[in-house]
Amino acid sequence: MDEQPGLSEQYRRVSAWPLFIALGLPIAEIGVLFGLVPIAIGGLLLFVGSIAGIVQESGYVERPWNLLAGLGGALVVLGAALALSQLPGFSPGAVLAALGSNGLVVRGVSIVVAGVIALGVGGAARFVEQEPI
Amino acid sequence: MASEQIALTLLMGALLVGVVAFITRVEDWRSYTPLAGGGGGTAEESGYAQDEKPGGLVRWLTTVDHKDIGMLYGTYAIVTFTVGGAMVMIMRTELLDPAATLISAQLYNGLLTSHGITMLFLFGTPIIAAFANYFVPLIIGADDMAFPRVNAIAFWLLPPGAVLIWAGFFVPGLAPAQTGWTMYAPLSVGVGAGTQGGAGVDLMLLGLHLTGVSATMGAINFIATIFIERAEDCTWANLDIFSWTILTQSGLILFAFPLLGSALVMLLLDRNFGTAFFAVEGGSPLLWQHLFWFFGHPEVYILFLPPAGLISLILPKFSGRKLFGFKFVVYSTLAIGVLSFGVWAHHMFSTGIDPRIRASFMAVSLAIAIPSAVKVFNWITTMWSGRVRLTAPMLFCIGTISNFIIGGITGVFLAAIPVDLVLHDTYYVVGHFHYIVMGVLGFMTFAGLYYWFPIFTGKMYQRTLAKWHFWLTFVGTQFTFFAMLLLGYLGMPRRYATYDFPIGPVDPVTALHQVATLGAFLIAIGFVIHIWNFIQSWSEGPVLDDEDPWDLKEINQYTREWRWHSRRLETTIADGSGEEDSDGEGERDLATDGGQDTDESDDSENVESTDS
Ligand code: HEM
Ligand SMILES: [Cu+2]
Repeated sequence: MDEQPGLSEQYRRVSAWPLFIALGLPIAEIGVLFGLVPIAIGGLLLFVGSIAGIVQESGYVERPWNLLAGLGGALVVLGAALALSQLPGFSPGAVLAALGSNGLVVRGVSIVVAGVIALGVGGAARFVEQEPI
Repeated sequence: MASEQIALTLLMGALLVGVVAFITRVEDWRSYTPLAGGGGGTAEESGYAQDEKPGGLVRWLTTVDHKDIGMLYGTYAIVTFTVGGAMVMIMRTELLDPAATLISAQLYNGLLTSHGITMLFLFGTPIIAAFANYFVPLIIGADDMAFPRVNAIAFWLLPPGAVLIWAGFFVPGLAPAQTGWTMYAPLSVGVGAGTQGGAGVDLMLLGLHLTGVSATMGAINFIATIFIERAEDCTWANLDIFSWTILTQSGLILFAFPLLGSALVMLLLDRNFGTAFFAVEGGSPLLWQHLFWFFGHPEVYILFLPPAGLISLILPKFSGRKLFGFKFVVYSTLAIGVLSFGVWAHHMFSTGIDPRIRASFMAVSLAIAIPSAVKVFNWITTMWSGRVRLTAPMLFCIGTISNFIIGGITGVFLAAIPVDLVLHDTYYVVGHFHYIVMGVLGFMTFAGLYYWFPIFTGKMYQRTLAKWHFWLTFVGTQFTFFAMLLLGYLGMPRRYATYDFPIGPVDPVTALHQVATLGAFLIAIGFVIHIWNFIQSWSEGPVLDDEDPWDLKEINQYTREWRWHSRRLETTIADGSGEEDSDGEGERDLATDGGQDTDESDDSENVESTDS
């Protein structure tokens, strides 16, 4: 009782990504809302990673890496905007100092860190994977 | 603190590694042909086609098939219904006597809040999505949903949503939210002397937010599916009534749920980051009520329209006639959809808003009774002089109509300002909406489960047990919710764990509460019978190879999902596999029930054909 008549063959009947998108989003939300840095970073990475994965799997892009890097970039911008909105001006010292006292800066920085990791992984993989697989 | 951070980091790292491992395993296991030379990876040649499903748990975790996802939604909704029901049984037991004897008032409030949210967001919307996922593509002749993966994402957002919403009960150190499902500010903002500042409330709001995202994704998917995935012979003119209601409902979701999402984010910001959207000196607590009810009233129709569509679909099958006035049922559905955005302030009549505004909301609210009544009359006339067969699904349909009449008429009373000022925040309101959420949505859930049981399971349920289920549920519903209407007349306020106002020697308030509790137990017993019937018939019942268990061919209402079922039966019998021929449909008639008919021989039974 499984298959449906008339199903065009290019439909894939399984995908591992939806589950992880649906896990990544709440984990990221909890992490950012409560300022739990590792949870925020991990959740965001799971979320953007799964998005890159599912978009590639659906055939919209050939390889996931550019998208991963792009999403990472978006996170960097977002997180930086959040953190900088709390600071008089940008200087590493000011950021470090605010980390101890301002919760929004903590959250902003954790978003930036997640973005940087995604950017790094995406960018690196893009160049490592020169040869078509 | 530092060790906690390290532990969390390790945990997240382990999770991510686990995910990567799982993905590589699943991807490996799939025997897909890699892209030719790494180039030209366009969709149509991506080589990801996959016609065999993995076995066991992995299949359910990775499926993007609309029928599987429908089953997942359905299972999920039954589980959440059980949880929400268990919560309310504790509450009803507590209300057997006036004092707080069984549980504390705090726990009562927590259960109350979770019961409401569970039933509306974790049961109501998902069970509708279950039916819609399984059947809309079959009925309109689509291959699948327009976006199968988005479909899967929408489902998988729900379990985390439930965990977050219930987290306050089982995570040590957290308290469940006691805000009521309406989450009115300032209580829900949790500031000042409020008791709702805890993280349990934040988690509940996050969970609610997730279910909202899920519902929105589902709605977009249904709209796209119904617009662009219809088979060629399925036109707007013969689109079936259930798909019409799902389309309308999805439109309502699309406009209502994102608003709830934004309002929830604003509330979270108020709670955690010191904004003042809903503060008295800021945007005002009334702003919350406006935003909430601008979502909230459409939400009640989101939960009502698809069950109404199910009545319009199932009722004709057991009346031997087509749906009376099909077009007008569709028009009334669309009218309700539009009007439902113009009535929200009838929930706020007693807040002191401008009387002129109040009067206009009263007018629109009364107007919405008209399309509602159109539906009721069409259902009654469909049965009129028909050959009514009292099967379990039909009994539930008829029960639903009676419940909707009571629920709808009490709604009209509440829409009248002077009446509402007396009855607002009493049990009358609780009785009113339960006649609809339990009496219509709950009942039609059961009707749909019985009607399509042969398609879901390939078996037949046990009819006697199903009748027991119906009568217990029906009688229980009348006991419980009619008693609530009377309690409301007596002035019993809603949302209280205790009550103590004897009126005269017989103390009607206590007596009515006991009647309501008795009814709740009848419903619970009926539900247990239902679950037993479902599980036992599914696992041990004889295989049903009748392709037409409801004798729909006789009345010319053998609709597309049953034709699909019949083709599936043929092919499984023929070669013992689930593989099927592509399209056995041929040039059969296009009639869905009531849709414009291409087959003249219809309705032979009823000489004086009443529809048009
Ligand atoms: C005939 C159409 C209807 C009218 C005129 C109507 C009118 C009203 C009014 C005026 C109230 C506010 C009562 C108060 O709080 O003082 C109300 C409450 C409510 N109605 Fe209806 N209603 C109608 C149909 C429905 C339907 C179809 C549902 C469906 C599921 C529904 C669900 C609710 C709910 C959940 C509440 C209570 C909300 C709360 O305060 O918790 N109503 N209704
Ligand atoms: Cu309303």
